[in-house]
This record gives sequence, structure tokens and C-alpha cells, in this order.
Amino acid sequence: MSLIIAGRIIPISGDQKVAPSETASFQGRVWIGNDGRIAAVTKGTASIAGSQMNLADFDNAPVVDAGTDLVVPGFIDLHSHLAYATLPLWVEPNRTVPFQHHDIWPTRPTYPESVTWPAYAFIEAAPAELLAYAEIRALIGGTTSIQGSPPSNRPLDGWLVRNIEDETLGGEIGRHKVLASTLTLKPEQLGERAISMRQGATFIYHCAEGSPGSIVQREYRAAHTAGCLQRRLVAIHTNAIDSASYGTWGEPGAIVWSPFSNLWLYGATTDVPAAVARKINLCVGSDWGPSGTRNVLGELKVASLVSEVKGWGLSAFDLVKMITANPGDVLAQAWSRQAGRLEPGALGDVAVIAANAKAGSRPDPFKTILRATEADVQLVVVDGRPQYGTERLMRQAGVTQTSMIAINGETRRLALTRFEGNGEPWSYKEILARLEEVRDDPKEAIESARRLAFAAIRSGEPPPLRLALDMPTGRVPVGGLPKDLSKISVPPIQPLAHDKEFFASIPGRGFHDGLLEGLADFYD
Amino acid sequence: MMDCSKDWPIFMIDQDLNVTLLQAQTGQLLSEFLLGESPSGQRAKRGARPDFRIPRARLLDGGERLQIIDTLIAVIGGVYCHLPQKRAAYALDPVQALQLLRAHVAALSEGEFHLALTSIVSGLRDAHTRYSGPGAKQGAVAALPFLVEQYGPYDNPIFVVSKVSAPELIRDAKFTSGVILESWNSIPFARAVDLHADRETGGRPDARRARALESLTFRALECGPPPDEMMVDIGYRIPLRRTLREVRIPWRVVQPDRAQTSHQPGSRASRYIAADPAAEAVRRTKKLMFSGNIWQADRSGTPVARGERWIETRFQDALAARVVKNGSSGNLGYLRIWSFDVNDDDAFIAEVVRLLELLPDNGLILDLRGNPGGLIWAAERLLQLFTPNTITPARFSLLASHMTRAMASSPFNRMEFEAWLPSLEAAISTGEPYSQPLPLTDPTWCNDIGQRYSGPVVCVVDPNTYSSGDLFAAGFVDNEIGTLVCVGEATGAGGANVWTHYDLREALRGTSFELDALPADVGYTMAIRRAIRCGACDGMPIEDLGIPGIAYEMTLDDLLHENRDLIAFCASLLKGIPRTAMIVELNESSVTVTTRGLEELETYVNGRPFEAVRRISDGAQQLARPDAETIEFVGRHKGEICQRRKLSLK
Repeated sequence: MSLIIAGRIIPISGDQKVAPSETASFQGRVWIGNDGRIAAVTKGTASIAGSQMNLADFDNAPVVDAGTDLVVPGFIDLHSHLAYATLPLWVEPNRTVPFQHHDIWPTRPTYPESVTWPAYAFIEAAPAELLAYAEIRALIGGTTSIQGSPPSNRPLDGWLVRNIEDETLGGEIGRHKVLASTLTLKPEQLGERAISMRQGATFIYHCAEGSPGSIVQREYRAAHTAGCLQRRLVAIHTNAIDSASYGTWGEPGAIVWSPFSNLWLYGATTDVPAAVARKINLCVGSDWGPSGTRNVLGELKVASLVSEVKGWGLSAFDLVKMITANPGDVLAQAWSRQAGRLEPGALGDVAVIAANAKAGSRPDPFKTILRATEADVQLVVVDGRPQYGTERLMRQAGVTQTSMIAINGETRRLALTRFEGNGEPWSYKEILARLEEVRDDPKEAIESARRLAFAAIRSGEPPPLRLALDMPTGRVPVGGLPKDLSKISVPPIQPLAHDKEFFASIPGRGFHDGLLEGLADFYD
Repeated sequence: MMDCSKDWPIFMIDQDLNVTLLQAQTGQLLSEFLLGESPSGQRAKRGARPDFRIPRARLLDGGERLQIIDTLIAVIGGVYCHLPQKRAAYALDPVQALQLLRAHVAALSEGEFHLALTSIVSGLRDAHTRYSGPGAKQGAVAALPFLVEQYGPYDNPIFVVSKVSAPELIRDAKFTSGVILESWNSIPFARAVDLHADRETGGRPDARRARALESLTFRALECGPPPDEMMVDIGYRIPLRRTLREVRIPWRVVQPDRAQTSHQPGSRASRYIAADPAAEAVRRTKKLMFSGNIWQADRSGTPVARGERWIETRFQDALAARVVKNGSSGNLGYLRIWSFDVNDDDAFIAEVVRLLELLPDNGLILDLRGNPGGLIWAAERLLQLFTPNTITPARFSLLASHMTRAMASSPFNRMEFEAWLPSLEAAISTGEPYSQPLPLTDPTWCNDIGQRYSGPVVCVVDPNTYSSGDLFAAGFVDNEIGTLVCVGEATGAGGANVWTHYDLREALRGTSFELDALPADVGYTMAIRRAIRCGACDGMPIEDLGIPGIAYEMTLDDLLHENRDLIAFCASLLKGIPRTAMIVELNESSVTVTTRGLEELETYVNGRPFEAVRRISDGAQQLARPDAETIEFVGRHKGEICQRRKLSLK
């Protein structure tokens, strides 16, 4: 179904036919064709007659009128761990000094019971609901593509938001165009990735995560030695390395910056100016529940706070690019389709953000985006399909099969269908109810899921959806789980949006010296 | 031949709890099972006699045979944990044998194919690793309605019928318990046993003979071929009479079901099984044939006592306990552990604790003869109840191969195998044939309850004590809990964790070694993690070696009078051991410790010393109940720790 979205267009495009500069904005329309690609971006109410587009495609296309609200590229979160999305922020009790690096905190005694086991309960007993929860959480923050899908026994593409590792663009591209690893790889594995990248794959790799100068900086050197410092490498974190090391990245790729997580665990974050100076493509990622923000729109604010405190001088435009055009360019390499920019041929992934009425008639749209919260997200379109939005815009978009979802008191409509249900609608309420069931009795839920999986394999039916954890499991008994599964205590499922409880859980915890407390100010 | 495999209920008897015991014991004739008409598959009408007939096996075509062989080549070569040992011990190469069979498999008759395949697999002499073809119906057991046991020296045994099932099944009133067996289908009985032993699994000759003796009258059809003959002619003598008599008894096929408390396929526990599935099916059949009341009670979920003098238990399939009187030693406790096949080891252990509290603390005989194994956690965690020592469990290794590395590397197996992965990867450069051995029962779980029985303990095993039974015996010896008595040379020597094709298929999904589904009803079990002992025998495998103990030869009195001589022998072993005891009672504000035979008492609260060591004599000690999580008492006699009790205060 084609779709036309009218509003104040923020294309962040380098295409001169669309806009004179990446910072340009204008009242206009984004035309998304039946194929889910952007057919045109036009100014004013101009028609597309005379263009090379098939006008018939848009004869009956619904028009979403966003007024003066901002029509922006859907946000891209290049660093997440969906399996851990329901979990609250975690700290090791009584710890007074930051962790040295990523191999330390998983060894702490409370890590498995606080992180691994609750996450396991959900992936084992309610994998589809967990995925739905995590993707909705991303979606309500304007995210249209997210990295960090848990390993799964079937592809996760074509559902709600784009799962970056699994995306095939409806079969246009092959699988495994984007490889990822959370765990540190051995030299031979890195060598294999180097080959894959030379053959066209993009590799997203957790690398050198820790305090500056800590021993894990050797992971970056190992990547260098293995030949992985290529254009198609996307290194997550790299906060342990000294800035001079970026010089060894001959043809720079990208870095994903997750300042909240860095400050929470290590009290130090990536040297962004050094990376930018080296022309490394900087992107922002939200990381995970135990030490991250709830979506990349929230993480953007943390990036802004850090930039301000450190005097890095990153503008709102610079920052917004880190969740749109910059990661979009990374994906464009992998998918051969532009993402993160509104221009002809690009993916039809769009977010509509409320204009800041208090900021005057022509406020800086990038500041508006930077300050936007979940309440400002009016519509999210993935592959030309409106997935989430206000009742008015969803109705205008012609989407009828939706369910209600409340976000921080605001009502929205969600166009979610069951993971395996022939298009049958699925509400967030149902998803939450199932997750709560698992939380109430993890033992029975896990055992029951195992029995079902076994019955399927025995009867020769296709196995049910299965997910796996992608983070370290920590110091666990043999078999990974406590002897008595009823000892698994699943913490309360966190609200989808940043809320007062989230902000209240920040002061006095983590190693950010109070910096992260400023995040709450964006949500007043 | 019609394909009867579809939609046919696996356990027909399960469908009808009201089946009479005799009907269940009668089952159907083997001749009907093999040659008669296959049943329709429709449910019997209410009130009609249940249909015990088992559907006929379907034929495998050439492609399906190749599929089976290729799977076995992959898993025996890739994950079978005893492969290096079996190659060394029996000078065989099962992978090459399968490759050779593959070359001409399509030209073989159905019978030839199954015979060739089962010969290769049973040539491994490993009761864990079994192939079950489509003719092998799950749960079906071919049975003769009597039990043969042997007594006397190993090189000149006497074979006796120790039990007879329903008299309706044998048309000879003189063929009763106690008759001596002379021939089997006109072959001298001892020779018949030896001939049959050649077909049996078992690493040692005595273990093979023990299994052969059992399988002369019971064959689990799921794990092996049916008997060659439809009926057997048995020559026998009545004791003290010279006349040789003969009786012809037909083989019957029965379905003993699994116990209510047994492990459930697909459960978490099912990945931690060490058992001989054939022996377990036979054990259940013996229960059906000779302890029918227990078998029926188990089906209805009613706790019963095994008989007069036995204590009622809801784990009647796995446990039996009673007090045995012994002239010189006084009353002793006797705990029979028939099986470790339970789904809930916590409940199983709690039941053992309850039974121990009802038995005299003067000494205990643990009898694990014929225990075919079960849940590893149940066996290894049980050890702690009988000793103040800290239990070290056995450890298990994976074969270091591309397939096990792929399995351990799969993100879906991280919880299960992550701990083994580093050593599997290191094996590439170290050349080690195995991964690092790691426990399957976490050491903390092996010590989470602590000692619950005060008196000395002796454990009895035989060559049919297998797998988790082996593990218990190994733990009993290696953790210096007590004396091990062995009827025969050693335990059955099954040292591995066993998985099914379904387990392996699931674990290998997504790897480059993915396994396809097998033809309907075809399956196998496979030893995938090899058990290694601890303590003084640290590093020794259990497979094929077993756990030797103090030798004991069964007597006729043992066979006919509830192990009378064996119990006396065990009592004599317990006699010389100094008795100590400790009972701890928790009250609202105080803790009372009553001891006997101890001179020193140490108290620990939350794992830390609570007070100076108390010098004590027999009697009660009292102290205020501390506000803490745990309290632990350690009692010493002549400086040696003899009693330890750890209790939760919350």
C-alpha cells in the first residue's frame, strides 16, 4: 500500500534534488510506494507529475497530514540487546568503584540472578512476547530499525521494526548481510569476519568496552591484526582505547556510542571528538535494559548531556544524524538501500515528531527532535507500513486493524500482528499479560515451554520460535540455571517509555557522577 | 504391509486404568505380536476387553535405511563419548562398519538390515547406546512369567526360579519358585546363558552374563530384537528330587508403562539422565509380573507399602524401606533403591529423608542391585544424606570433535554447554580427545541438605546396577561414605549421560551438523558425556570398569527368603563400626542437639564459628536459637568428624 505523508520534512538528505543541504527542512510530502521505498520527497503541495514515478501507485494512496509536525527518517538503533529489554537498571550492590571492563561485571554474584535468569525465563517461555515487547519499546521512541536481535531459530524480518541482523528487505537481499557479535571473538573468528567484510558483509562488533586504558583495549588491536578495521566494521563502544588508536583504522567504518551504559558501568565513555576527527561515522545506540536507555531517542539526550559537559560542541543536527543518516549510511552499505534519510529510493521508514509549539514559529527542528520524548512521537512507519501512531494519523493512514496502547498517559494505536498468526491483531495488553504469567511462575513457564518444544520435535512439527541470550551468562552453575527454577525471580517488567521511576532509579547508582540525572530534565 | 505407525497410541494400556492386573500380565502372545493381524488402531468400546495387540512394524525403504545409517555415522563419529575407549577395548570401528553397511544397505532384507545395524551398535557393549528400529515399539517388553536368578560361585552357578507370576500363565503347577533350571530349549542352561551373553551389552563378562540372565526371560523390544523363538522349552528339577521335568512356556508381550514419578520426556531433568532404557523397561516389567499390587498402586497414584513390614511410600516405584532384624547387630534399616528414574529429585530426596527418619539409626543397608539408573541429580545428591563429608560429584567430558564444538558454540546451547566450550576449543591445539570434565550436578547441590542419617551405611550393588546406579556407587566409594558390597565383580559399568535423537537434534539445530528427522518410530539413545570418578579414583572412567566392592556370592536362601544371608553379611560389616548419632530439634527460641558417642561439638552460624568447641558427652545440648539463615553442628569422635547437621533457620 502506498502512502503519502505531509508535514514539515526533515530529509537529512545529501540529494540535491530533495534539499540543498542536510540541515534543510520544508513543508512538503514524502511519497512511499507500494514497494515500501520512498518514491519522492516534494516541497509544498506539489504533485509528482512529471517525475519518473508511476502516478497510478498513488491514486488511492492515503494521505497523512502531519501539519507542521516534523517528518523525519525513522530512527536507527545500532546497539541494543532485545532479550534484556524488560529488565530494570542493574548495579552490583555496595560497589563503589567503576568496573574496569566488560569481563568484570558478569562475574559479580548478583549478575545471573538479576540479569541472566530473568532474561532466560522470557526467551524460553515467551519468546514472541519478549520480542514484541522489545520492538514496541523501540517503536514508541520512533525507532524503525534496531540491532541486537537475539539469535533465533527463524528469521525475524518483516514483522514490526527492522531487525538489522535479520533484515532481507522482503527477500531482495540475502541473509547474513549484517553479522554481529556481542562476545569477544577469537583471532581466527575475527579473521573470518575480515573475509566476510571484504565480501560485502557488515560486521557489528562489541569491541574494547571498558575504562580507558584497561586491558580490553587489546580487543581493538586484535581486530586490527585480524584485518577487521575496515570500512564495513561497526565497532560498539571502543571506550577503552586511546584516541590515537583510531589512526590505525585506515578506511574508517563506524562506531556506536552508548554513553548511558558507558557512564553507568565504567564512568567513562567513548572519545567522540577523536573518532569524528578520524572521520569515523558516529552513531548512537541505546544498549540494554540493565545499563541503558529505553530507546535511542532517550540515548540521544544522554549524548547531548555528555557533549555539553565535556565541551565537545556537538550540535543538535550532529546528534540527530547519529540516529538517522549516520547509521543509515552504515545500513546502506549492507543493504544496498539507503536508510536514515528521506530521499528517492530510500527505505520508507519514517517518524513523525510533534513540532515544538513553545519554541516559536521556526524553531531548529533538530533541537525539537533532540528534546522530543515518547509523547512527541506521532507516527512511525516502517517499510511504508504505519505501525504506530496517534489515532488520527493512523486513521488517515488507512490502518484499521490496531489496538490501543497507552504511553505515559498518551493514547496511541499499534498495528501489531501475532508473530505466527496470519495477520491476527495482537495487543500490547495481551503481550504484557503473558509476560506477567511468566514472571509469576517462571519455573512452570520454562518447563511448559520445554515440553512443548520437545513435543514439536517429536511429532515432526516445525519447532516453536526459539531465542537465545547474546550477553555473558555470568558465573552460573552447570547447566546455566539454578537448581530450583522457582528461585528465578523476575523483576517487574519495565514500562515501555522513560518514566519517573526510571529517572528515580538513577541518582546514587552507577558511576556517572550525577551526569545522567540530567536526563530527567528532558522529560519534565 | 499397512502402515500402522500413524496415530496409534503408544501405550494402549495407559488408555484404561481399569485393566485388571492379570490382563496386563497376560498381554499378548509373541506369536500374535509378530505374525498375527495388526490391530485397527481404533479405541476399544467402553467395557470391552482392552486390546493389547501392538501394531505391526512397517518396512523401511532403502532411502530411509540410508537416512538412519548416515545419522548414526554422524553421531557415533561426532558425539559418542566412549568412541576412543570402545575402539581400544574391543578393537572395533563402528563408523567404518556403518560405512560398509551403507554400501549395500538397500539390497538387504528388512531382517538382515536390522540385524546388521543392531549388531554394530550392540558391539559397542554399551547399554546407554541403543538403536531402536520401527519394529521396536516403545514400552513393549517380551516376557516369560518367571524370574531366573543365580547363586553360588561364578564358574559354577546354579540357576533358580526365584519368582513366578500369575499361575494362569504357566500350565504346570509344579513349576514354582525354587525349581532349579537345567535346560533352555534343550541347551544346558549355563551354556544358554553364555551363548546369550554374547549378544548382550556390558563391558565385562560377568556384566554381560548378568544381563543375559535377565534377558533370557525379559527383552525390551524398544531396544533390541524380539526373541527368536515363540516359546521356550524349559527343563527343570524340583529341589531334592531327581526327576527332570519339562514345561513349554510361550513368550508374551506386555506393556509395563513408565512410573508416575519417572522423568518426563522434554523436561529439564531429561537432559541429565544416566540410565539403561532397556533395563528400566525390564525392571518395570518385573514389577508388573511379580509385584503387581505395587504396579497397580503406582498407576493409580496411591502410596502403598510393598508388603507387610515395609513402610508405605509414594515413591513406591523407586524406593522401598523396612526394618530388618539381626540377631547380633539389633535392628537395622534396609532401603531398596530400585531406580533413580524420577522427574523431581527434590521430592525423591525428601522422601528418602522421611523414610530414614522411620528407620533405626543403628546401621543402614542401601540395596541398589538391579538399579538401571535414572536422573543423575537424584543419585548424586542422595549421597550427602549418609555422610558428614562434603560430596564431590563425578565429572563428565564431551568427546572433543567438530560436532561437539559446534554444539557447544550454538547460541541456543549456551546455558547447557558454555562451560565445556573453552576446553573443547583448546583441544584443537592440545590434542586432548576429551573436553575438560565438569560436574553435571553442581557441587553445591550435592551438599545443600547434608547428613541426615547417623548410623554406618553399607551399599549393595551388582552388575545390573547401572549408570546413575554406577554413579551412586562411585560417589559412595570415592567420598568415603561406607562399604560397598558387590554381588559379582563390580557394578554394571555404565558411565555416561544419555541423550536421545530428539535431544541431539534440538541441540544441533542451526549448526552445520543439523540432524534430520528419522523415519517414524526409529530412534536411538547415545552416551554423550563420559563420567569420570573423583576422590582416590580421580580421573578413572566408569564405563566398562564399574565400581568394584567387597565380593559376595548369593545363596539359595537369599533368592527365596528376601536376601537373608546377604543382610546378615552386611550386618556383619556394620557391626564393627563405632556408632555415633546426632538429632537436632529446632524450637521457637532454642535449638536442642542430642548426641551419642561424640566428644566434641562445633557450632557454625551462617557458615562461621558460633562458639568455642564444646566438650560433650551423650545427651542433649541446648542453645538459644540465633537470628540467622543457617545453623550447622559438627560432632567429632576421637577428633574425626562423624556427624554433621545443617539446618535452615528461616
